[in-house]
Amino acid sequence: MQGITGPEIVAATKYLAAGIVMGLGAIGPGVGEGFAAGKALEAMARQPEMRTDLLMNMLIGQAVTESTGIYSLVVALILLFVVK
Amino acid sequence: MAEHLGEKLIMTLKLGGFKLSFDLITLIVSWIVMLILIVGALLLRRGLRGLEEGPTRRQALLEMAIGTLQRQFGEGFQSRELGTRLFPLVATILLFVLFSNWISIIPGFTSPTADLNVTISLGLMVFFLSHYWGMRQKGFFNYAKGFIEPKMLFPLSLFLNFASEMAKPISHSFRLFGNVLGGGILIAIVAQFMPLVVPMVFQAIYGLFIGAVQALVFAFLAVVYINIAVEK
Repeated sequence: MQGITGPEIVAATKYLAAGIVMGLGAIGPGVGEGFAAGKALEAMARQPEMRTDLLMNMLIGQAVTESTGIYSLVVALILLFVVK
Repeated sequence: MAEHLGEKLIMTLKLGGFKLSFDLITLIVSWIVMLILIVGALLLRRGLRGLEEGPTRRQALLEMAIGTLQRQFGEGFQSRELGTRLFPLVATILLFVLFSNWISIIPGFTSPTADLNVTISLGLMVFFLSHYWGMRQKGFFNYAKGFIEPKMLFPLSLFLNFASEMAKPISHSFRLFGNVLGGGILIAIVAQFMPLVVPMVFQAIYGLFIGAVQALVFAFLAVVYINIAVEK
């Protein structure tokens, strides 16, 4: 325990925290986007002529859902590259 | 990796008492994008023909593209007036973001949209525009009344409305920034341990596909935010 200094503890916890942030933050958007894609596929199977409209709206909805994952990405990047 | 991210050419300019810093790479690449858009528009505009002669093939293609954009974005607005007034702006934002995202597939170029300053200025532009049009369409008194809307929780509702309005430009701009920057970092990491063909596949997915989707989403959300501000 003697060789570990303050900056080393900060570095270690920083990397650990970045990993946890990304891992937990990826769960929500993954589930949400999969749900949106599944529902869109169901709708496309029922009405194939609506495919382009559904695809467009699905992608937009998924990109909005993704924003929580993006926030955690930004937090992870701040932890990795900004926190000293 | 960290050096690659942190490496920025910052130019500082002293103006009176202020110190202005410019990120040169972002600045120059966004100028290049604007140049591409302006020169492309001028080239495409040449030799447009009227109804009696009939369009050339290039003009037909151009009209089809503009028509598609008009259907997706111009008619998404609440009223026809808003559509005709704001469609050019939204389409310009879409094209600028699209080409900013796509320019990163040229080696040596970084997307201007991977810089938070660019995306947040676009987001703030949409934010102020939506509030301007909200005031203009509803009148100042009705606009201000929207902020205390569920009247039962008066002091709390003011705070909640204010916070949700502030969150809009932040989430709007961070979404684009995070996607583009994250894609760039992923490509850089992959290129470090698989330098040959694999980065090209990632470029195609993250540079082209995600870039196009995010540009569409950014423009679409601009329409949605303006609509919300106008109707509320």
